[in-house]
Amino acid sequence: MTEPVLEAHHLTKVYKQRRGNDVVAVDDISFSVQKNEVVGLLGPNGAGKTTTIKCLCTLIGPTEGEIHINGADAIKSPRLALKHVAAVLEGNRNIYWRLSVRENLEFFAGLQGLPIRQVRSHIDQLIELFQLKEKERTEARKLSRGMQQKLAVACALVKGTEVLLLDEPTLGLDVGMSHELRFALKEMAQRGERTIIVSSHDMSVVQDICERVIIINSGRIVTDDKVSNLLKLFQASAYRFEIEGRLDEHQASRLQERFEMLKISEPDYHTEIEVELINGSQIYEIMEILKAGDSCIKAIDRREPDLEEIFLKIVKGGAN
Amino acid sequence: MRYLVLFKTMLKQEFILMRRYLFNFISGLIAIYIIFLLIFLGARALGGGAPGFGATLDAIVVGFLVWTFALFAYSDMAQGMVREAQEGTLEQLYMSPLGFTRVCLFRIVSSFSITLTFNVVILLLMMATTGRWLHLDVISLLPLILLTLAGVYGIGFIMAGLALVFKRLESFIGILQFAMVGLIVAPIDRFPILRYLPLAEGSRLIRGVMAEGLSIGTLPIGDLLFLAINTAFYFGCGLLVFNLLLKTAKNRGLLGHY
Ligand SMILES: Nc1ncnc2c1ncn2[C@@H]1O[C@H](COP(=O)(O)OP(=O)(O)OP(=O)(O)O)[C@@H](O)[C@H]1O
Ligand SMILES: [Mg+2]
Repeated sequence: MTEPVLEAHHLTKVYKQRRGNDVVAVDDISFSVQKNEVVGLLGPNGAGKTTTIKCLCTLIGPTEGEIHINGADAIKSPRLALKHVAAVLEGNRNIYWRLSVRENLEFFAGLQGLPIRQVRSHIDQLIELFQLKEKERTEARKLSRGMQQKLAVACALVKGTEVLLLDEPTLGLDVGMSHELRFALKEMAQRGERTIIVSSHDMSVVQDICERVIIINSGRIVTDDKVSNLLKLFQASAYRFEIEGRLDEHQASRLQERFEMLKISEPDYHTEIEVELINGSQIYEIMEILKAGDSCIKAIDRREPDLEEIFLKIVKGGAN
Repeated sequence: MRYLVLFKTMLKQEFILMRRYLFNFISGLIAIYIIFLLIFLGARALGGGAPGFGATLDAIVVGFLVWTFALFAYSDMAQGMVREAQEGTLEQLYMSPLGFTRVCLFRIVSSFSITLTFNVVILLLMMATTGRWLHLDVISLLPLILLTLAGVYGIGFIMAGLALVFKRLESFIGILQFAMVGLIVAPIDRFPILRYLPLAEGSRLIRGVMAEGLSIGTLPIGDLLFLAINTAFYFGCGLLVFNLLLKTAKNRGLLGHY
């Protein structure tokens, strides 16, 4: 077990409202992230992802709680913590539109206190990695949306911080660009050089680059687990039965009664039952119900859930 | 060392932007020159024949010069920061481990050096137009201009902070730049109380050097001291209030564009 690079303890953010109720955007969140981990931060709109991320990079002062980044207290000594964390924020430009690609990279290195001499080769690498070589001397405002976003990420990387926070990095990018950005991020992650927290509504991005996800809903953590564990967990409980012909009414109503997560569909001459089992023994119950009506089972298989479904279930369905 | 890097970075950014937008830069120059011309011609039409008009003319040139300085100082601070907040680069600046206040100060010094170039050109144009070559005692003028502007920057800091916290104040802040004209021409001789305002005493002393041929050595020590204290007060207060407002903005999550 390595040292955690980032730790949040009982993080809470309440936005005081002059009129109406105060907004509790983040509600007593605690988590820690190990060196070189890549963590996805998921949650529906307004869950508190952006607020959490901005607290981590000192842009928002939390109401309560503690944050440590590489040992530095981000609340008491933000400047110390900022040596170790860089962020690309949601819906922002994050870069200077009137500076060229290279000028932006040099600017943000300088803002971190790194002399150009020292970062020149790093900048070359980043330009290479993000495939911006041809546009090196082009002003950022003339780049495509996807290239601008890649540049924003590169500008955060050039600071050389251990921790990188990305809030919705692929928002508004077309599929191709999203893949390109993902590829670069994966490359970074695989080199094992950075600890990354990335928030996204695009599950495929998270499934693609993150080992672990933290799902938050209404400001609270509802799940914090490895992506592979979640997939396994949900795979184990999701079944699909294919029956010849139709179920009788009695069977259908018993199934509806017993199982909450159930979907019965009747394409052509057979019936499909998709069901979510809470424990292993429930499969016998299904079998019995089917047997009682002399249904002929044509196939049973486990459904392969993807992160998107799992996410929806956790957030909406209240499944554990 | 890291601070030097930061300063060079800010300076370089300002110069790149100026060079890249040379056209804007020059058209700004022309616009200011035209405004000046209108004021100048108007003044001549009104009081051209009167005795002592020459001195008034000098006062106009100097006043206008101080105004352009102050205008750049002020709009750079307040409006520049609001713009960056909207565009989303302010949060990045804020995240510099070298400190946001320092980032702002270095930016001010950088943009001041550009304003200075700009104003030297305007001044030469104005003097050529009026045909009155003012006393350009650089040794006396530079410290006076710096002292005067530092006060304006203090106010700029406060306005920038206010704009971050109360987003709707933006237009008000834009209008306020014209209030500076009042401060520059404030009749301190008749109403000494006006000395306590920012910009007023400084522009009076600059006028003394440029139009009346005084030098920093011949200006009353008391006046210089007063200017220094006045500036220290406004600049210090500006920084203090700015940091308080910044903290408020941070607590309310307003550094970005929520
Ligand atoms: N500066 C602010 N002032 C007041 N309320 C805010 C502020 N910023 C966010 N909120 C509120 O806090 C809650 C959490 O917002 P946040 O932006 O953190 O959510 P999010 O998970 O990033 O959502 P999204 O997926 O839409 O980006 C929301 O109810 C939002 O309206
Ligand atoms: Mg968000």
